[in-house]
Amino acid sequence: MDVGISRRRFLKGSAALTVLGGGTIGLTPLLGNEEGDHEAAAVMTKTSTKEAKLVPTLCEMCVNKCAAIARVEDGVVVKLDPNPLFPKSKNMLCPRGNAGIQALYDPDRLKRPMIRTGEKGKGEFKEVSWEEAYDAILNGTDKFPGMAKILDEEEDNRSSFLFCAGEGMAEHTFKMFYEAFGSANWLNHASICLQTVASAYGVTMGAYPQADLENAEYVIMAGANRAEAIVTPDTMDIFKRTKGRGAKLICVDPRFTNTAAKADKWLGIKPGTDLAFVLALTYVTLDEELYNKEYVTNNFNDFDLYKEHILSSGYTPKWAAKITGLKESDIYEIAREFAAHAPRAIYYPGRRSTFSKNDFQLRRAMAIFQALSGGIDTKGGLVFGSKLPLGEHKGVVPMYYQARERAVNKNKQNDGYDHCVVVSGGGSWIAWRNRFLENVMPYKVRGAFIYKHNPMLNMPNTAKTAEMFKKMELVVAIDTMPSDTVMYADVVLPECTYLERTDPVFSFGGVEPAIAQRNKVIEPMYDTKPVNEILHGLTKKISKPLFEITKKHDMFLQDEITASESDLDENSTMTLAELSKQKEETMYADEFDLTKVFEHSQEEVNEHMVAEKHGEEAAKQIKEHGIFYPNMEKYYKQLGENKFQYYPENKKSYSVNGGVPKTPTKKIECNLANLASKGVDPMPTWRDEYNFKVPNGKFKLLTGRHAQFTQTGTSNNIALHDLIHTNYIWINEKVAKEQGIAFGDKVEVSSATGKTIIRAYPTEKIAPDTVFFVHGFGEESEKLTTAYKNGGCDNAVIEDNIEPVYGAAAMHETNVEIRKV
Amino acid sequence: MANYVMVLDYKNCINCKACEIACKEENGVLLGADKHRIWVGSNNPKGEWPKLDIASAAFLPSQCQQCENAPCQDVCPTNATYYDKNGVVQVDSDKCILCSYCMVACPYDARYVDDRTTTVDKCTFCSDTRLARGEVTTACQNTCPTKVRTFGDIDDPDSEVSELLRTREHFSLKSNLGTKPKLFYLT
Amino acid sequence: METVAKKSSTIKEFIRSIPINKIGVKDLLNFEKSPLNIFLAALTLVFLGLFVIGVLFYLLHGHHAYNVTREHPWGLLIAVYIFFVVSSTGLCIVGSLGDVFGFKDYMAISKRAIFGSIVTIVAGFAVIAFEIGHPITMMIYNVLTPGLTSAIWWMGTLYGLYLTFMIIEFVFLLKNDMKSAKTFGLIGLLVGLAAHSNLGGVFGFLNARTISNGVFYPTYFILTAFITGVFIAFIMMGFRYKLSFPKEIQTMLSGLAKIQALLISILIFFVTWKFLTDVYGGMPNRAEVAEHILGSWTFWTEVILAMLIPLTIILASKASAYKAIFFASLSGMVGIFFMRYNLVHDTQLKPLQEMKIREYQLPPEWIHYFPSATEIMISLGGLGLCLALYYVGTKLFSLDTEH
Repeated sequence: MDVGISRRRFLKGSAALTVLGGGTIGLTPLLGNEEGDHEAAAVMTKTSTKEAKLVPTLCEMCVNKCAAIARVEDGVVVKLDPNPLFPKSKNMLCPRGNAGIQALYDPDRLKRPMIRTGEKGKGEFKEVSWEEAYDAILNGTDKFPGMAKILDEEEDNRSSFLFCAGEGMAEHTFKMFYEAFGSANWLNHASICLQTVASAYGVTMGAYPQADLENAEYVIMAGANRAEAIVTPDTMDIFKRTKGRGAKLICVDPRFTNTAAKADKWLGIKPGTDLAFVLALTYVTLDEELYNKEYVTNNFNDFDLYKEHILSSGYTPKWAAKITGLKESDIYEIAREFAAHAPRAIYYPGRRSTFSKNDFQLRRAMAIFQALSGGIDTKGGLVFGSKLPLGEHKGVVPMYYQARERAVNKNKQNDGYDHCVVVSGGGSWIAWRNRFLENVMPYKVRGAFIYKHNPMLNMPNTAKTAEMFKKMELVVAIDTMPSDTVMYADVVLPECTYLERTDPVFSFGGVEPAIAQRNKVIEPMYDTKPVNEILHGLTKKISKPLFEITKKHDMFLQDEITASESDLDENSTMTLAELSKQKEETMYADEFDLTKVFEHSQEEVNEHMVAEKHGEEAAKQIKEHGIFYPNMEKYYKQLGENKFQYYPENKKSYSVNGGVPKTPTKKIECNLANLASKGVDPMPTWRDEYNFKVPNGKFKLLTGRHAQFTQTGTSNNIALHDLIHTNYIWINEKVAKEQGIAFGDKVEVSSATGKTIIRAYPTEKIAPDTVFFVHGFGEESEKLTTAYKNGGCDNAVIEDNIEPVYGAAAMHETNVEIRKV
Repeated sequence: MANYVMVLDYKNCINCKACEIACKEENGVLLGADKHRIWVGSNNPKGEWPKLDIASAAFLPSQCQQCENAPCQDVCPTNATYYDKNGVVQVDSDKCILCSYCMVACPYDARYVDDRTTTVDKCTFCSDTRLARGEVTTACQNTCPTKVRTFGDIDDPDSEVSELLRTREHFSLKSNLGTKPKLFYLT
Repeated sequence: METVAKKSSTIKEFIRSIPINKIGVKDLLNFEKSPLNIFLAALTLVFLGLFVIGVLFYLLHGHHAYNVTREHPWGLLIAVYIFFVVSSTGLCIVGSLGDVFGFKDYMAISKRAIFGSIVTIVAGFAVIAFEIGHPITMMIYNVLTPGLTSAIWWMGTLYGLYLTFMIIEFVFLLKNDMKSAKTFGLIGLLVGLAAHSNLGGVFGFLNARTISNGVFYPTYFILTAFITGVFIAFIMMGFRYKLSFPKEIQTMLSGLAKIQALLISILIFFVTWKFLTDVYGGMPNRAEVAEHILGSWTFWTEVILAMLIPLTIILASKASAYKAIFFASLSGMVGIFFMRYNLVHDTQLKPLQEMKIREYQLPPEWIHYFPSATEIMISLGGLGLCLALYYVGTKLFSLDTEH
């Protein structure tokens, strides 16, 4: 047993590598009934002129958290309108935001706690009370062991439980439970989301920046589909200005997306070859000396090394044209135009999950390319923005000496880890799962707590994920819908939807920072609760019993709470036993009482967090209006039907660091020498193995977003289903014709990992050797009436490749076969 | 008393369909592919991979044009379709006999049948919901992520729509038919 | 008080004086039991049965029992309604040749034709009653808040009046009061022509539908009405005289056949020029629809059955092969049905909103429609109703013109 292992220390260490930039990194977990007209069965809500209650809240249909105002008539939520006060969402609600009503009133919602009665994975449960559910978690049933038994057998190794969560305002609440519980195994959406891009920008320029699309004159958006993967305020800002109205948008994408339709130019690049494109742009910029010499001199480390590397490696536009399929002249033109508009030029960082194994290098190259033009921390370029402070909500982080280190295996050769070089805070889900299945974990992991997360469908290779859950002995899922993951749980704890709870207040950083809070609109329906109340109830049940287990196995705790002769002095009136008892009670109350984390209501916690930094008035305002930022009454103005001022121009946080990067060295890091020893290219380099060649008769599978869906979270929403019945696979029209595939024909998509069935959509918007279909369909949970067996499931087919630096899932590395069925 | 029009900066439109859902939620329109008061139209881009024509892939939001010279009003046998005091073309569902003449006569495919009353329904500029509550925006305008629509009174020379129409070039759909539509698309 | 009582007794007396045969069920069953007649009787009963079933489905499911859609709201029932009222107007025209305009040769058919015009329009109303969503509302608000710019309002109102005048004319014909019959016949004819051209105007006023817009349909409706009337006249005479026509009838039929040849020639002329002007210059929305129609089998069915076969037979036989013309009239009626169906469907063929409204759909090209079972049942039911009423009429009234 290692005394030196402190979870606190471990967390601190890994946090340095997980860079959280200017605030709004809500991480989205990314990574398919017969189609046909559903009967217009559901009657929609309708507003009226009745008396109504208007409650400001924040949407949770995706990661953006747009500010909304819920209209409640006669106790029914009849409409969700935008809240104009929030600078980030700028008075809008996308289709999913409007459809929150259907999520609230979804008849398939989880209503009561459930415990498993049948075979795992079959979704056979019985509804129980909260007390019974908590008891099942602690003490198990005849179908599965309880937490107490497992911890006892594992000698209080808290890491024998995995904690995983999706993105949400209450993710932090759940994480506090994880910290209080004492496990070292934390996984979240980061590795199936933007882990790589955020980290790459982090190590290069010190933070994951936002883009000032309201003022940029030239924007290259590569692989980011802002017209369909809506991000606030980027989507709001850029599309008002393209097509000759102030900004030129170059869309680089292997498909002709809706963003391409809105752009001024679209380049149909070969998937996975963006790195070659950026290297060539860099080449032109360096070769023709288009870069901002002053900025580079003042703010770059190893610039000469990088310049030498780029120019001598022959990363010419001619070279890149062959690899990417783009025109040489286009690459020259873009590099020159970009420089001409700098510093109001942006190579858009993007956000989504990793495309391919070279993603880390790609994002670094993008970051450096942007920095060459000087467009960092400045109006019209990439910005760090500022963030308003908030008080802290402190948790309980006991020291469990029996808790083992995170279950990663060090790689002795390269000083990295078995599957990836860096283990970030969010971990590598795929690597962890595969290690679990290969039985190479350093100790037994026997259970999992899952919050607002759908691992069954959100990461590649659903077959393996199912296997993992089957092997785990105690799986507890907290969710709002009976997702595929919930089907594999042993205990299901139903959370209420976002319209039924107040969530932790949050500070949103950016050019126009603000603090916003999700306020409860109506009381929770059925027998559901918000996660903090769920955990409050759970910790009340398990805190003392788990402490007993720790007492039993943890030598150091035993030491601390056992009084010895030396503790007694002349004035002591207690016996040794009594003193020990007192010590134990004090120790428990001070350090091990898990209920302390959740003893206050969320409203109280929020008030405290806001008032601490901004005063009582601010706390009141957030409750009434949902939004607060200093001087809001003075700054906020409605300028027109659709236009609002949140901050006057001279108060916006375009430049907060004088253009200086936020790295520890205050320089743009072109060369990461410490990575070289771990087998990672220290400077973005093109390797032959990145060359893309799809075998004959196969297709490269791409996945992505549509504006009407948020992965699997919205798959059962009947209003959104009205907009997008099912997913279709994009297949080049000519190829489809050759193979006799017409619109709507069912095809089977198969790979080494698995297969799925989906309908065909022949289109010219995709290359002949590439196919695409949107993520979020093809679910197997019978309890989801609308989503059950509707459409094709991408993760059933996508191979579990990971990019080597952070272990993030590389989603576009799978070649598939297609045949008509 | 007003003359409501809508100005659409349609180049902003990203075809997210927020407006379609907001309309249904606000006005209680039934779900169903053919039951929509408003929609965003798109075309498959012309050309072959990878030389695709961007302009041909434009998105065009549309709905009832609230024509000043509405063919639907001309052809209604019971005057169920009428102009209200704000220039909005309304359907009195008590009088509609579902002869469907207006559905055939409308050049814009703006009308559909509401199954609950078995009468004809269409966009009413949120007259009985938002406007009735004294709000000045329609559901589709308010929710739009890229703020395509601006709604207002063209009889008021100081309104934003009046200003937009004075200063920006615009066109209307099928204007050669003489329907005098009140939806203006900014070029 | 007295005048009211007097008036009502005058009316009662008047009604009592109409020569109607007293018949019972036995009389109805009293017909020559030839295989053809039995087949026709059975068919009529089957159609009436289908009518009942169709109406039941409609009462249960409402408009969802039909295949009409947002883009194609007018379906088979509208086409069948038009078919019946065109037949009615046509029979009115044929009937008025004798009793309004005094052409002696055609007096033999007047009574029968006028009765036929009543029966067909009643069948038409029976069919459309289940197509209009709210027939009671219609009757109330057509009166209270009429839409005077609406061709449907004029058509509906005028057809109501027309039916009234036809009934009155028929009554006078039954009583052999030729003077009053002529007056009401003339009024009825004019009202009927106005009503029918307004029905054409329903399509002609559609500015957005360039294939139907304009002067063609209002005028062509009158022309085809006359043609239809002549076809039905032949069919009625054919059944009445079992294809062995007496001398005076033959004279009448010869005259009618010659008129028919002229009318069909004019029709072919009109239709040819319509398509030429529609296709010429490739005007969007109009030319492609016209070309699509020219490529569809329903159009050529209409042309061959309603125009080419009858015209050829009449010309070849110099308007004298009455038996052949009878059969040509049967084919003609089938062709006329297709003509009505084509009219309704062609108007709605081209969608007015041609963009995709969902990513995963084919772009709207041609609107597809095929009648549902309920629509077919009610349509056949209308035909059955028509046949049944006509048959009852032949028993109730003496439809031959007395000399």
